[in-house]
Amino acid sequence: MIALEPVIGIEIHVELNTKSKVFSKALASYGSKPNTNINVIDLGYPGTLPTLNKEVVRQAIKVAIILNCNLNKVMHFDRKNYFYPDVPKNYQITQSRTPIGYDGYLDIEVDGETKRIGISRVHIEEDTAKSNHINNKTLLDFNRAGIPLLEIVTQPDISNAREAMIYVETLRQMLLYSEVSDVKIEEGSMRCDVNISMKPKSSNELGNKIEIKNIGSIFGVGESIKYEIDRQTELINNNVLIEEETRRYDDKTNTTILMRVKETGNDYRYFPEPDIPYVELTDEWIEEMRRGIPRMPNERYRDYLEVGINDIVANKLIGNKSLSDFFEILLKNNVNLINAANILTSDVAGYLNKNNVSLKDTKLEVDNFIKLLTLLDKGDISSKIVKELLPDMLANGTDVEKLIAAKGTKIISDETQLTTIISDIISNNSSAVIDYQNGKDKAIKYLMGEIMKATKGQANPVLARDILINILKKQ
Amino acid sequence: MSKLLSLNIVEINQKLKNKEIKPLDLVLEAFDNIEKNSDLNCMITLNKEKAVERAKELESLEVDNLLFGIPIILKDNIVTKDLRTTAASKILENFIPVYNATVVDKINEHKMIIIGKTNMDEFAMGSSNQTSYFGPVLNPWNKKLVPGGSSGGNAAAISSCIVPLALGSDTGGSIRQPAAFTGIVGLKPTYGRVSRYGLIAFASSLDQIGPMTKNVYENALLLNAIVGLDDKDMTTKELEAEDFTRLIGNDIKGMRLAIPNYYLSEMIDSEIRNKMIEIIEMLKRKGATIDYVNIDYLEYAVPLYQIIALAEASSNLARFDGIRYGYQTDDYRDIDEMYKKTRTEGFGDEVKRRLMIGSYVLSGENAKQYYEKALKVRNAMRNSFVKIFKQYDLIIGPTTTSVAYQLGSDHDDVLKSFLDDIHTIPANMTGLPAISIPIGFNKDYLPIGMQIIGDYFAEAKIYQLAAFIENELKLVLNPNEKEG
Repeated sequence: MIALEPVIGIEIHVELNTKSKVFSKALASYGSKPNTNINVIDLGYPGTLPTLNKEVVRQAIKVAIILNCNLNKVMHFDRKNYFYPDVPKNYQITQSRTPIGYDGYLDIEVDGETKRIGISRVHIEEDTAKSNHINNKTLLDFNRAGIPLLEIVTQPDISNAREAMIYVETLRQMLLYSEVSDVKIEEGSMRCDVNISMKPKSSNELGNKIEIKNIGSIFGVGESIKYEIDRQTELINNNVLIEEETRRYDDKTNTTILMRVKETGNDYRYFPEPDIPYVELTDEWIEEMRRGIPRMPNERYRDYLEVGINDIVANKLIGNKSLSDFFEILLKNNVNLINAANILTSDVAGYLNKNNVSLKDTKLEVDNFIKLLTLLDKGDISSKIVKELLPDMLANGTDVEKLIAAKGTKIISDETQLTTIISDIISNNSSAVIDYQNGKDKAIKYLMGEIMKATKGQANPVLARDILINILKKQ
Repeated sequence: MSKLLSLNIVEINQKLKNKEIKPLDLVLEAFDNIEKNSDLNCMITLNKEKAVERAKELESLEVDNLLFGIPIILKDNIVTKDLRTTAASKILENFIPVYNATVVDKINEHKMIIIGKTNMDEFAMGSSNQTSYFGPVLNPWNKKLVPGGSSGGNAAAISSCIVPLALGSDTGGSIRQPAAFTGIVGLKPTYGRVSRYGLIAFASSLDQIGPMTKNVYENALLLNAIVGLDDKDMTTKELEAEDFTRLIGNDIKGMRLAIPNYYLSEMIDSEIRNKMIEIIEMLKRKGATIDYVNIDYLEYAVPLYQIIALAEASSNLARFDGIRYGYQTDDYRDIDEMYKKTRTEGFGDEVKRRLMIGSYVLSGENAKQYYEKALKVRNAMRNSFVKIFKQYDLIIGPTTTSVAYQLGSDHDDVLKSFLDDIHTIPANMTGLPAISIPIGFNKDYLPIGMQIIGDYFAEAKIYQLAAFIENELKLVLNPNEKEG
């Protein structure tokens, strides 16, 4: 048996989050009643003409830049001609000859190693209507017709399911961070097609490729590739010739199912769209877009580790863009970043999850949060108090100092008072004292807990700890 | 017959201002004229009820511009809200649009009154008005002859003084050739001058809406009303506002004119050639300089048109599939059969022939061999015209190679029918403005047309020369008075 290896490329369609459609002024939004966000242009009425939404071009420039692409500075649109009920004009306006971006790349991290995935093209096109098959009828919803799409196509540089999944997730995060799309794979605003073929390891000759369409999850990307590798390997080992096919991923069985055998010479009769003049991307325009791109997640991750945040917390921060954006501002301030990251990814994240909101939707202000961090750092408040204060700061934006005053939350920093309290606790917990003397650090934690309980969290934690250790040492 | 509509627009305007007449008088006369000339088959749909209503509305308004209250007809590929728009095709036989073309809004703003929609070649594909689903239009100068096309209904109606104003569309000569065949004035403006929004597309990179009128001045007036940047059509241009009548009446002394040798070749009917030479001599006497020039690639006009226009058409007409609007076949098993039967039954032969050629030249390897090569030749042709306009003000020549011909004579001679447009196509390929004006008659008293091509956006200069010639010739151009 010959040793085989897979050759994998991925095509991704992303719906851009512009207010209106790419070639008409109709609203580009989801979840509306069918056929309400439409106009004569979306329906391909006789005499109508497309007009290009500049915002789509701006977003596409951003994506081409983050994928390190060359830009076609004079670009045009093309018509892709084919008859299908969900294509209202029976041609789709797309970019064939002059994709806005080409010859780029995306670096992904696979088990600590960087792998470069080539991006062959990024182009703008219009989405089709949505077909709903009910009984033996097909109903068409044109709300989706004309929603702007970016198609991002890789070179066949992906070697296995794991790389494919990491590529899709990395790209998804980057698109989210560029604020061009909500990239929800399950809801269809990001759609993955995988091209996969097998070739002998010793050869450069590619086998016939199988296209797997519209995979609805990153997990599905991995599973469908694994399944195809096994399926195609078995066929080749049994000397069955693989024909070019389009298949779909079945998420119930984790297999792929044949949709159609590719017809040879599928002829889309591309030609330049005469209704849209050539678009010139000026250097100024490109520069403006470049300046507007937020820092990408991989860059942020590296910096977070550098300031001493651990891998898990750093990943948690990156995983929630609104937290990471908030943290980006803190990075520029002189605060305890580790505390900040911990509070954001635990207490704040918990609040956001519970209320199902983004940090942007809360009233938490950076300055207020910095004050909180400073108080904590000085030992003026304990982390228990932080937990108590945060909900009010998030919900109402109340100034942390006012909040402390109003709550009557006073920090006990009086040494004599604390010494009395701590001495009492020590005499009531003789077993913990013995634990301490036997070298068990856990005992300190336990006793601190008791101190906080006794003071309702108001003991100055730094001072209390010093006093506690002093007394213990004297025992 | 009261004959108000045989007066010129300035005279009508004066009467409206003096309250001698009301817009309703003009509207009723227009419908009366249509009725009397019904044998010409100019009209597909009449807008009588709304036109009368509009005329009454206008009675209470100030006569604020020269086009106020003037009846106008529109080629039936210009989309009119709530008024049937068929493109002379069975596939749109019952199509009632839900929006107005931009030019229709402009017509309404200028308070012209839309009388109805005119007959044409189906989807503007043809040059003799014989491909219409609603039957051929007759030439008022001789009812056995074609009026030209595709704006044949307009040409016949304007020529017979049914109404003074019409808007046509010109993809390869569809305004100018019928204007020449019927002795009227027809202009194809510079590409991008007039919005195409709401013009049912034939070939998007060539189509342009333009005015068809009895005389040059009124043509310029109508152009004034319909031009301008339109945010619904990205191919329109932003230009300073101008009055296209402003050079009318100016002398032409020192005007530098070029006549392409190709436009006076053996291919041209000798009576047309002789008439053209008479005009050239007259213009020389009046102080214009005229040079015979060679313009490269002119001889490729027809193949260029067949490739580029038909390629674009094959895509533009794909939307007529029976799903969202228009004709749908009764009986089908699946979607493919629905498409096939709807389009087979809905389109006429000429349209189907052109869609097949258009699909062919874009298919696979053919795209390189035909379409891409055609784009290169088109570009080269544009450059050769640009070169000419560095030295000359205007290019002149006959509009057509022959006068109007027999109905039914070459309906199936596809190549011959394309040759009708051999002189007019270059203006579409290059996007240049061009007009056809009447310059006389042949021995059978059939009109002969002359074409004037201008540099980009030089319509005012075209009108200057056109009006000068019109004024020198003072032709009587009423088919009903020709024997008198």
